[in-house]
Amino acid sequence: MDIKVLGTGCANCRTTLALIEQVAQAKGVAVNLQKVEELRDIMSYGVMSTPGVVIDGKVVHAGGVPGRDKIEQWLVAKHA
Amino acid sequence: MLDEAKEVCPTTTRRMLREGALLVDVRERDEIDGLAFDVADLVVMPMSEFERRCAELPRDRDLVMVCRVGERSLKATYFLMYQGYTRVANMEGGIVKWARKGFPVKGNLSAAIASSGTGCCGGAAPIPGAGGESTRAASEGCCAPQPKRTGACC
Repeated sequence: MDIKVLGTGCANCRTTLALIEQVAQAKGVAVNLQKVEELRDIMSYGVMSTPGVVIDGKVVHAGGVPGRDKIEQWLVAKHA
Repeated sequence: MLDEAKEVCPTTTRRMLREGALLVDVRERDEIDGLAFDVADLVVMPMSEFERRCAELPRDRDLVMVCRVGERSLKATYFLMYQGYTRVANMEGGIVKWARKGFPVKGNLSAAIASSGTGCCGGAAPIPGAGGESTRAASEGCCAPQPKRTGACC
Protein backbone atom coordinates (compact mmCIF):
# COMPACT_ATOMS: atom_id res chain seq x y z
CA MET A 1 0.00 0.00 0.00
CA ASP A 2 1.48 3.33 -1.09
CA ILE A 3 0.69 6.19 1.27
CA LYS A 4 1.79 9.74 0.70
CA VAL A 5 1.54 12.48 3.30
CA LEU A 6 1.32 15.87 1.65
CA GLY A 7 2.63 18.85 3.56
CA THR A 8 5.36 21.44 3.48
CA GLY A 9 6.91 20.32 6.74
CA CYS A 10 4.66 21.64 9.49
CA ALA A 11 4.19 19.88 12.83
CA ASN A 12 0.78 18.51 11.80
CA CYS A 13 2.32 16.89 8.75
CA ARG A 14 5.02 15.22 10.82
CA THR A 15 2.42 14.07 13.33
CA THR A 16 0.27 12.63 10.56
CA LEU A 17 3.22 10.70 9.16
CA ALA A 18 4.13 9.31 12.57
CA LEU A 19 0.55 8.39 13.35
CA ILE A 20 0.10 6.45 10.12
CA GLU A 21 3.36 4.66 10.78
CA GLN A 22 2.23 3.72 14.29
CA VAL A 23 -1.19 2.49 13.21
CA ALA A 24 0.26 0.48 10.32
CA GLN A 25 2.71 -1.21 12.68
CA ALA A 26 0.01 -1.90 15.25
CA LYS A 27 -2.24 -3.43 12.60
CA GLY A 28 0.57 -5.31 10.94
CA VAL A 29 -0.10 -3.68 7.60
CA ALA A 30 2.86 -3.18 5.27
CA VAL A 31 2.89 0.35 3.92
CA ASN A 32 5.20 2.30 1.71
CA LEU A 33 5.03 5.68 3.43
CA GLN A 34 6.29 8.76 1.67
CA LYS A 35 6.38 12.43 2.54
CA VAL A 36 5.67 14.95 -0.23
CA GLU A 37 6.93 18.41 0.61
CA GLU A 38 7.32 20.26 -2.70
CA LEU A 39 4.46 22.68 -3.23
CA ARG A 40 4.06 21.80 -6.89
CA ASP A 41 3.90 18.09 -6.07
CA ILE A 42 1.35 18.73 -3.34
CA MET A 43 -0.78 20.92 -5.55
CA SER A 44 -0.73 18.27 -8.27
CA TYR A 45 -3.20 16.44 -6.04
CA GLY A 46 -5.41 19.56 -5.80
CA VAL A 47 -4.98 19.72 -2.04
CA MET A 48 -5.22 23.23 -0.62
CA SER A 49 -5.28 22.28 3.06
CA THR A 50 -2.49 20.19 4.48
CA PRO A 51 -1.70 17.67 5.75
CA GLY A 52 -3.16 15.67 2.93
CA VAL A 53 -3.11 11.90 2.68
CA VAL A 54 -3.02 9.98 -0.59
CA ILE A 55 -3.48 6.22 -0.64
CA ASP A 56 -2.64 4.37 -3.83
CA GLY A 57 -3.00 7.60 -5.78
CA LYS A 58 -6.32 8.71 -4.29
CA VAL A 59 -6.70 11.67 -1.93
CA VAL A 60 -8.47 10.39 1.19
CA HIS A 61 -7.87 13.30 3.51
CA ALA A 62 -7.02 17.01 3.47
CA GLY A 63 -6.59 19.47 6.31
CA GLY A 64 -5.73 18.67 9.91
CA VAL A 65 -4.29 15.59 11.55
CA PRO A 66 -6.51 12.59 10.79
CA GLY A 67 -7.83 10.63 13.74
CA ARG A 68 -6.43 7.21 14.61
CA ASP A 69 -9.85 5.68 13.87
CA LYS A 70 -9.86 7.14 10.42
CA ILE A 71 -6.37 5.82 9.69
CA GLU A 72 -7.37 2.37 10.91
CA GLN A 73 -10.36 2.43 8.56
CA TRP A 74 -8.13 3.30 5.60
CA LEU A 75 -5.68 0.54 6.36
CA VAL A 76 -8.29 -2.09 7.07
CA ALA A 77 -10.34 -1.21 3.98
CA LYS A 78 -7.29 -1.42 1.75
CA HIS A 79 -5.90 -4.48 3.45
CA ALA A 80 -9.14 -6.46 3.35
CA MET B 1 2.20 16.52 -12.32
CA LEU B 2 1.46 20.19 -12.83
CA ASP B 3 3.78 22.30 -14.93
CA GLU B 4 5.98 24.81 -13.17
CA ALA B 5 3.91 27.90 -12.34
CA LYS B 6 4.61 31.01 -14.35
CA GLU B 7 6.05 33.72 -12.14
CA VAL B 8 6.16 37.39 -13.00
CA CYS B 9 7.69 40.39 -11.27
CA PRO B 10 5.75 43.52 -10.28
CA THR B 11 6.90 45.40 -13.37
CA THR B 12 5.60 42.72 -15.67
CA THR B 13 2.43 42.55 -13.60
CA ARG B 14 1.80 46.26 -14.18
CA ARG B 15 2.23 45.78 -17.88
CA MET B 16 -0.14 42.82 -17.83
CA LEU B 17 -2.71 44.89 -15.94
CA ARG B 18 -2.50 47.59 -18.58
CA GLU B 19 -3.10 44.90 -21.18
CA GLY B 20 -6.24 43.61 -19.46
CA ALA B 21 -5.10 41.19 -16.77
CA LEU B 22 -6.87 40.84 -13.45
CA LEU B 23 -5.03 41.01 -10.12
CA VAL B 24 -6.24 38.45 -7.56
CA ASP B 25 -5.24 39.24 -3.97
CA VAL B 26 -5.42 36.13 -1.78
CA ARG B 27 -4.46 37.82 1.50
CA GLU B 28 -6.96 37.85 4.34
CA ARG B 29 -9.20 40.88 4.73
CA ASP B 30 -7.48 42.21 7.85
CA GLU B 31 -4.18 42.28 5.93
CA ILE B 32 -5.80 44.10 3.05
CA ASP B 33 -7.32 46.62 5.46
CA GLY B 34 -3.75 47.46 6.46
CA LEU B 35 -2.22 47.65 3.02
CA ALA B 36 -3.87 47.21 -0.35
CA PHE B 37 -2.98 47.33 -4.02
CA ASP B 38 -4.21 50.57 -5.52
CA VAL B 39 -5.25 49.23 -8.89
CA ALA B 40 -8.60 49.12 -10.65
CA ASP B 41 -8.62 45.55 -11.91
CA LEU B 42 -8.51 43.74 -8.59
CA VAL B 43 -10.41 40.88 -7.02
CA VAL B 44 -10.05 40.06 -3.33
CA MET B 45 -10.28 36.33 -2.73
CA PRO B 46 -8.63 35.37 0.57
CA MET B 47 -7.06 31.92 0.88
CA SER B 48 -9.65 31.06 3.54
CA GLU B 49 -12.35 31.47 0.86
CA PHE B 50 -10.35 30.47 -2.16
CA GLU B 51 -11.31 26.84 -2.63
CA ARG B 52 -15.00 27.71 -2.33
CA ARG B 53 -14.93 30.79 -4.54
CA CYS B 54 -12.26 30.23 -7.16
CA ALA B 55 -14.80 29.27 -9.83
CA GLU B 56 -15.80 32.96 -9.84
CA LEU B 57 -12.52 33.78 -11.55
CA PRO B 58 -12.61 34.13 -15.33
CA ARG B 59 -10.82 31.58 -17.48
CA ASP B 60 -10.67 33.83 -20.52
CA ARG B 61 -8.54 36.54 -18.95
CA ASP B 62 -4.95 36.68 -17.67
CA LEU B 63 -4.88 36.35 -13.88
CA VAL B 64 -2.00 37.47 -11.69
CA MET B 65 -2.11 36.03 -8.21
CA VAL B 66 -0.72 38.14 -5.37
CA CYS B 67 -0.26 38.02 -1.60
CA ARG B 68 2.21 39.57 0.82
CA VAL B 69 5.43 37.93 -0.36
CA GLY B 70 4.32 35.53 -3.08
CA GLU B 71 4.09 32.23 -1.20
CA ARG B 72 0.36 31.86 -0.65
CA SER B 73 -0.37 33.21 -4.09
CA LEU B 74 1.92 30.57 -5.58
CA LYS B 75 -0.21 27.92 -3.90
CA ALA B 76 -3.34 29.57 -5.27
CA THR B 77 -1.74 29.69 -8.71
CA TYR B 78 -1.10 25.96 -8.64
CA PHE B 79 -4.63 25.32 -7.40
CA LEU B 80 -6.06 27.21 -10.36
CA MET B 81 -3.74 25.29 -12.69
CA TYR B 82 -5.06 22.08 -11.14
CA GLN B 83 -8.57 23.35 -11.87
CA GLY B 84 -7.62 23.78 -15.51
CA TYR B 85 -6.85 27.48 -15.63
CA THR B 86 -4.13 28.22 -18.17
CA ARG B 87 -3.94 32.01 -18.08
CA VAL B 88 -2.60 32.34 -14.56
CA ALA B 89 0.69 33.59 -13.13
CA ASN B 90 2.07 34.28 -9.69
CA MET B 91 3.59 37.66 -8.82
CA GLU B 92 6.77 36.86 -6.94
CA GLY B 93 7.60 39.12 -4.01
CA GLY B 94 3.98 40.05 -3.35
CA ILE B 95 2.78 43.45 -2.27
CA VAL B 96 6.01 44.04 -0.36
CA LYS B 97 8.06 43.95 -3.54
CA TRP B 98 5.36 45.82 -5.46
CA ALA B 99 5.47 48.63 -2.91
CA ARG B 100 9.27 48.68 -2.80
CA LYS B 101 9.25 49.40 -6.50
CA GLY B 102 7.07 52.43 -5.88
CA PHE B 103 3.95 50.98 -7.42
CA PRO B 104 0.62 52.23 -6.07
CA VAL B 105 -0.62 51.00 -2.73
CA LYS B 106 -3.08 52.24 -0.14
CA GLY B 107 -2.51 51.95 3.58
CA ASN B 108 0.31 51.36 6.00
CA LEU B 109 3.29 50.29 3.95
CA SER B 110 5.86 50.47 6.71
CA ALA B 111 4.15 47.78 8.77
CA ALA B 112 4.11 45.37 5.85
CA ILE B 113 7.73 46.08 4.99
CA ALA B 114 8.85 45.77 8.60
CA SER B 115 7.28 42.34 8.94
CA SER B 116 8.99 40.93 5.89
CA GLY B 117 12.53 39.96 5.01
CA THR B 118 14.35 41.69 2.23
CA GLY B 119 13.34 40.42 -1.18
CA CYS B 120 15.46 40.37 -4.27
CA CYS B 121 15.01 44.08 -4.76
CA GLY B 122 15.02 44.81 -1.04
CA GLY B 123 17.67 46.14 1.21
CA ALA B 124 19.03 49.14 -0.60
CA ALA B 125 15.81 49.87 -2.43
CA PRO B 126 13.96 53.00 -1.33
CA ILE B 127 10.56 52.66 0.28
CA PRO B 128 8.47 55.33 -1.35
CA GLY B 129 5.45 56.61 0.46
CA ALA B 130 6.12 54.56 3.57
CA GLY B 131 3.20 54.95 5.94
CA GLY B 132 0.91 56.34 3.30
CA GLU B 133 -0.16 56.13 -0.28
CA SER B 134 2.38 55.81 -3.01
CA THR B 135 1.67 56.44 -6.66
CA ARG B 136 5.13 57.19 -7.98
CA ALA B 137 5.78 55.35 -11.20
CA ALA B 138 8.90 53.25 -11.05
CA SER B 139 11.21 52.49 -13.90
CA GLU B 140 10.00 49.72 -16.10
CA GLY B 141 11.84 46.90 -17.72
CA CYS B 142 14.22 45.79 -14.98
CA CYS B 143 12.53 42.49 -14.51
CA ALA B 144 11.82 39.95 -17.18
CA PRO B 145 9.04 37.38 -16.85
CA GLN B 146 10.35 34.45 -14.90
CA PRO B 147 9.29 30.93 -15.73
CA LYS B 148 10.71 29.63 -12.45
CA ARG B 149 11.29 30.87 -8.94
CA THR B 150 14.92 31.82 -8.88
CA GLY B 151 15.22 34.06 -5.84
CA ALA B 152 16.48 37.00 -7.87
CA CYS B 153 14.67 39.09 -10.39
CA CYS B 154 16.76 42.04 -11.41
